Amino acid sequence: MEKKLSQMLYEEEGRIKKIDPGLRAQIAGMGIREGKEIKMMTKQPIKGPVVVNVDRSNTSIGLGLADKIIVEVEK
Amino acid sequence: MKLTVDQRWDLVDRISKKTVTVGAYKATLKNALADVTVRPQTGIPFAIAVLYGFWTFFGEFAGLFTDGFFVRIFGTHWIPWIGEKLAGLPDWAFTILVGDRAVFAEGFPGDPCFAAGGVLTTGLFMPFGIVLWAVLALFLVLAVMEDTGYLPRLAVLLDTVMHKIGLHGFAIVPTLVSLGCNVPGVTAARALETRKQRFMIIALLGVFVPCGAQIGMMEELVPHLIGWVFLTLAIGYLGFGWVLNKIWPGESPEILMDVPPYRAPQWSNVWRKTWMRTRHFLFVAVPFVLLGCAIVMVLYATGAMDAIAGGLEGFLATVFGVPASATPSLVVGFLRKDLAIGLLPIEAMTTYQVFKSVILLSIYFPCLATFALLLRELNWKEILATLGFLVVTIFVFGGVLNLIGMAGGW
Amino acid sequence: MNKVLLMGQSNVGKSVLFNCLSGGGATVSNYPGTTVDFDKGRMAIDGKIVEIIDVPGTFSLQPKDKAEEVALKMLEGEKDAVVLCVIDSSKIERGLYLALELIEKGCPVIIALNMADVAKDANIRINAEKLEDLLGVPVVTTVATMGEGLKKLVERMKETRSVKIEGIMKSVGGG
Repeated sequence: MEKKLSQMLYEEEGRIKKIDPGLRAQIAGMGIREGKEIKMMTKQPIKGPVVVNVDRSNTSIGLGLADKIIVEVEK
Repeated sequence: MKLTVDQRWDLVDRISKKTVTVGAYKATLKNALADVTVRPQTGIPFAIAVLYGFWTFFGEFAGLFTDGFFVRIFGTHWIPWIGEKLAGLPDWAFTILVGDRAVFAEGFPGDPCFAAGGVLTTGLFMPFGIVLWAVLALFLVLAVMEDTGYLPRLAVLLDTVMHKIGLHGFAIVPTLVSLGCNVPGVTAARALETRKQRFMIIALLGVFVPCGAQIGMMEELVPHLIGWVFLTLAIGYLGFGWVLNKIWPGESPEILMDVPPYRAPQWSNVWRKTWMRTRHFLFVAVPFVLLGCAIVMVLYATGAMDAIAGGLEGFLATVFGVPASATPSLVVGFLRKDLAIGLLPIEAMTTYQVFKSVILLSIYFPCLATFALLLRELNWKEILATLGFLVVTIFVFGGVLNLIGMAGGW
Repeated sequence: MNKVLLMGQSNVGKSVLFNCLSGGGATVSNYPGTTVDFDKGRMAIDGKIVEIIDVPGTFSLQPKDKAEEVALKMLEGEKDAVVLCVIDSSKIERGLYLALELIEKGCPVIIALNMADVAKDANIRINAEKLEDLLGVPVVTTVATMGEGLKKLVERMKETRSVKIEGIMKSVGGG
């Protein structure tokens, strides 16, 4: 099943399917890219940012940016 | 040849497949802590505990040196001694260096450390007896916080709030650093992404974030008010930030930040950093404090201070509800805010007037070192806007506080 | 060679390395973006004094904030400088991404695989010799906070060279 990164649940894991072209180059250097496994580490309440883990690095991403990343999850 | 993003990543993957092996992930204490401090349910209580611990350490450390040691050294030994030694000087020189001769003869009733006012008495006591220990404690705690990796986690926790005013969580880093000294705080603002965000944070820092020297003086002179002062400044920071965000054009991108793993602080690095910043304080701030004392004493001795105070009396009383006796403090506020707080005639004012004056001094013109840096970091349009913002803030904020006071009958 | 630019992503230990190599006093912290301006120092390579510059961290050569712009400007302004690219070994993939960007730009590069202790703790093993073979530029493992590998790094600084990305693609071979 595909969903937006912003919709992933706490501790949910998945694989990055698609990143908005405008964002792709910007986060490429941080190691977040299509095809990588991604895990939701924390979600902050009231539309706060998410923290995700890719390749053993934690990155904090604002919810609006997280909307632009599509993730394939197991179920 | 230049590769596309995808081609380059493809090449990285092929290289790492041939050279890197990753074993099983080990659950460590650091990882567990990393998780606990950034998850909202546990992270927010943890943040409160950290800030509380921070504050307690600061108060104890600074108090130990100032009250336990330097008040006595200066009050009972240094000031009487230097007064005797310099007794032969002409009146004007004695006034500038030690204090008023007639009052000295009475032994500076009250607290001689503050009552004297001269360059070699109060002028030395404030930076070396009070402020040095306060900034040393703050720099030390900040250095530890910087080195452990806690700041990015605090940034994540506070991002929700900061995003409402057009900044994002990383803005907490320059803000906290500014609590030590505004100068590195303003520099740290460069790590924010857009011009708008940088302008906003610099303007807010310059106006609403008191530096370690001011905090040290507040802790010494008005410890019972300090909680209210911080609360009021925080409201101003968020409120005016919200307004600035609405009226200043530009983009406010969302947070996109690496959260590094925790690391044990390296003590050599912590000491070195604390020492470098403290040295900066000694070389940059102390001369201005001494100069400020000299100016005030000259203004007193020549009677100019009375004239200025008389001229400003009506204005100060109507707009801010502050007595004319606070004038000297507001005059040197341009030079050094810590000195200005030290010169407030606390006994002659009501508690609410003291509170208002401390707030006014905090949101006053940024100190000269910070202002010089503003000129470098901002363009002329932003500098003018910052000055305009400053004036508006002083009047609006000071006026509103005055109105609240009148309404409350304080 | 008369100038060394110390480049790498945020928080990989560039400033620690800078302080070790130059004896300088760059501020070191554990958050991304500590160095927002460059620091300059001097170091000796083969008895010759060269200038070494601690450049603000940049995730890629597509700047996303003022500090990263400073980094890119330094790189473009110092055409004859060599680049010491610092990589956090525990996050080697994204470090290599920046290293490749620097190589594509034609910069003479030497790579420091820093924070080798952190990588070891995380069970990550890197074959540095193999990596050097594939890339064609010197690769040295370091732990700057402990001073490990620094002597070797300085010794090999003169082997720094610019290579063609096509060559790397060829030696790496197909997927």
